Amino acid sequence: MAREKTVEHYDVIIIGGGPAGLTAAIYAGRARLKTILIEKALIGGLATYTNEVENYPGFPDSPKGEDITNLMKAQAQKMGVKIKLTDVKSVDLVGEEKKVETFRNTFVGKTVVITTGGRPRITKAENEENYLFDKGISFCATCDAAANTDKTVVVIGSGDAAIEEGMFLTKFAKKVIVSVLHHEGKMDCNEIAKEAALKNPKMEFIWNSAVKRFEGEGHLDTVVLRNIKTDEEIPVKCDNCFEFIGYLPNTEIFKEQIKMTGAGYILTNEKMETNIEGVFAAGDVRDKWLKQVATAVGDGAIAGFAAEKYIAESEAFHDVILQKDKPGLTFIYNAVAAESIDFLLEIEKIENHFEGSIIVNRVDIYKSSGIADRLNVGEFPAVVLTVDGMVKERYIGHLDSVKIIENLEKICDTCH
Amino acid sequence: MKEVILDCFGEACPIPLVKAQNKIKELEIGDILIVQIDHSCAMKNVPDWAREDGHNVEVEEIDDGEWEVIIEKVK
Repeated sequence: MAREKTVEHYDVIIIGGGPAGLTAAIYAGRARLKTILIEKALIGGLATYTNEVENYPGFPDSPKGEDITNLMKAQAQKMGVKIKLTDVKSVDLVGEEKKVETFRNTFVGKTVVITTGGRPRITKAENEENYLFDKGISFCATCDAAANTDKTVVVIGSGDAAIEEGMFLTKFAKKVIVSVLHHEGKMDCNEIAKEAALKNPKMEFIWNSAVKRFEGEGHLDTVVLRNIKTDEEIPVKCDNCFEFIGYLPNTEIFKEQIKMTGAGYILTNEKMETNIEGVFAAGDVRDKWLKQVATAVGDGAIAGFAAEKYIAESEAFHDVILQKDKPGLTFIYNAVAAESIDFLLEIEKIENHFEGSIIVNRVDIYKSSGIADRLNVGEFPAVVLTVDGMVKERYIGHLDSVKIIENLEKICDTCH
Repeated sequence: MKEVILDCFGEACPIPLVKAQNKIKELEIGDILIVQIDHSCAMKNVPDWAREDGHNVEVEEIDDGEWEVIIEKVK
């Protein structure tokens, strides 16, 4: 029998506690929105795997990633954001009430911000699963470097993370052997890191190589590489292996609901909006060009701000456009189109004709098409008539004020 | 389905982990074990172990530097 879950309501539910999520939380919290951030493991995300962050502006002393994200966390908490450390089991994102399930709670939100980031990719070589994490294969030099003092380690990969973390490992290990897929002298990392790595006396490179299998009794002791040109096996004795070959997005639970790329990264526009209204995505989880703490923070700010705007618009829609006091007329127009402006005068005539017995709203789509979208209006100018908070009639394109007045009179007759 | 509280305040690693591992063996599926800790290393290894074992895990910061690791035994 399932345990009864506690239901809690929020304005903004943020899934994922890395820099993008924390920044969205700071913006939402500061806008006085009731905000919860749910993180499955530890606050800080992948930034905490980096020992030296040298390119996040404002921190010239190369702090640990964790030091920066701890400050972000403190700032979010100061804004009144609630932080919950648990796994999200499932989501139901369509509609105005979005549901996020954890094992003890159902969180119901007006908006959801997805900042679930990614996780390290593995090589899928033979026996890899037997040695993951504490049995010899690590993805985090920051976490495990000190345990490799005076030991021999193998690094897989030649991107920025692989080479920078490999260099960090040389401060502890006696030898760092790097397996590079490319021919001699070619790496995927930036030129500065490459130059420093090639000069580092503790670093050795095995070019044109990939992992074939992992070996060891209980704990890893040999990484068997394969020369990708000759297929020759190269056994490398080591104490531990570090894999830095990229990341996979954490988007499994959003499949079927959110639009993604083939690789599973979430598609958004520049406002961080996904294909579902009120659902935003920010940071490494979305399909974007540069994945950095600095860009995650930028995304998070936009997503937090966009969530606030969306909620304000929802409230305006329900309280003003769909008011129930009187029959309503909403004129949706584009203030830079002549046809729209001409009809504004007609709207004024209609308003005067009814002498306060109807409520007239004018919505300029120039700033945002959100309200038009909610009324299913895609062409402008348009008029929508409402009664008791329900859409009664839509006039789109060639508007005829005589017809609108006739119809409104009929509506008014029935409601008095 | 019962809830059991395991007070590990003031205890350093790996004591909270070992105590939690022993305690969960005594529980039935669906029971909840709440491990109270104040050493930040236990904040990592206790939830890591429980997750790896396939249990449901939630960590609640109950005070500054004090946490409850809530574990639902699922197998």
